[in-house]
Amino acid sequence: MSQLEGTSEKKLLPFWPHYVLSEFIAWYVMLGILITLSALFPAGLEEQADAFKTPAHVKPEWYFLAVYQFLKVASIFSFLGAEAPKLIGVIAPGIGMALLALLPFIDRGPKRPARRRPLMLLLVIVIVLVFIGLTVWGQVG
Amino acid sequence: MRVIRSWTPMHLAQLTLDWIDERIGLRGLITASLHVTIPRSAHTYYLGGITLFFFMSQAVTGILLSLYYRASPESAYDSVLFIMNQVNFGWLIRSVHAWGANLMIVFCILHMLRVVVQGAYKAPREVTWLAGIALLFVTLGFGFTGYLLPWDQRAYWATTVGTEIPGAVPFIGSFLRDLMRGGADVSAVTLTRFFGIHMLVLPASLAGVLMAHLFIIHQQGLADPKEDETKGAAK
Repeated sequence: MSQLEGTSEKKLLPFWPHYVLSEFIAWYVMLGILITLSALFPAGLEEQADAFKTPAHVKPEWYFLAVYQFLKVASIFSFLGAEAPKLIGVIAPGIGMALLALLPFIDRGPKRPARRRPLMLLLVIVIVLVFIGLTVWGQVG
Repeated sequence: MRVIRSWTPMHLAQLTLDWIDERIGLRGLITASLHVTIPRSAHTYYLGGITLFFFMSQAVTGILLSLYYRASPESAYDSVLFIMNQVNFGWLIRSVHAWGANLMIVFCILHMLRVVVQGAYKAPREVTWLAGIALLFVTLGFGFTGYLLPWDQRAYWATTVGTEIPGAVPFIGSFLRDLMRGGADVSAVTLTRFFGIHMLVLPASLAGVLMAHLFIIHQQGLADPKEDETKGAAK
């Protein structure tokens, strides 16, 4: 930030047209990516649905794969009882989502910059890695 | 009222716009929405707006697909084949819709990560965050219900295992699973149910929550990631 921008008023940018123009440029790039991906890798279509023919590798969409894989590997908790794997497998992600939804009410500290919240940064990195790990595991497993 | 010096098309257009605005008064609202300032140090990386772009693209391509799609086990698959092989640019419209669905979820997640890392969810923006969580759920619901509609093997079995996840919830699990499927198995009832939710319930929900999300953002302005929530409180 330059020395000239001393007063708080000068640290502001007009939303219109500055921000809107940049946003439109981002949209234009995304349109290009969307059309390119669609042209190079068009949406496929497998055989018609058949309730009596289970395919070899059945998977949910990639964004549910992490939760699905966690539910599968939760069978390691079977030493806690017959119902424990299912219970932990579905309740743990549920609690995770609830904590995420209530994040602003849990983390009430006034610090905003990421550099000054190393614990939160670490937590985010760990959660992202676990999510990616479970998704990849579900995909190849 | 402006003084009209000559009857050029520009002046006629101006006159028409003035006439309309005197009756509906939209100009003030547009000015109030656009003429706001944002902190110079706020870096949104345009992620939320990009998610909005994908939603608009999904709405347009989705409406086009709905003109040919038929939601029944007998004809759904054939109608998708027809879209892919017979309809002009049908394959492109469907592919853009499929890619857009995945990219919308990707940018939803990236947008959320940005907000978490910058601490932009903190007071007084809790309600914006909650609306955002609702938008994430609606978006995931769009993906889940839309995936079944082509009625091919991948769609059918992904929905079968996908509905097994809520089926593992204690006590009410099998009730939830049967409610989603409309019976013990994925069937014609599931298809019409998912189609109705995908085409009517979720678009209406998303439109409403999105308006709230954007309205609160407008009321509060963007969070400045360089400044603490309450200046001086941390020192």
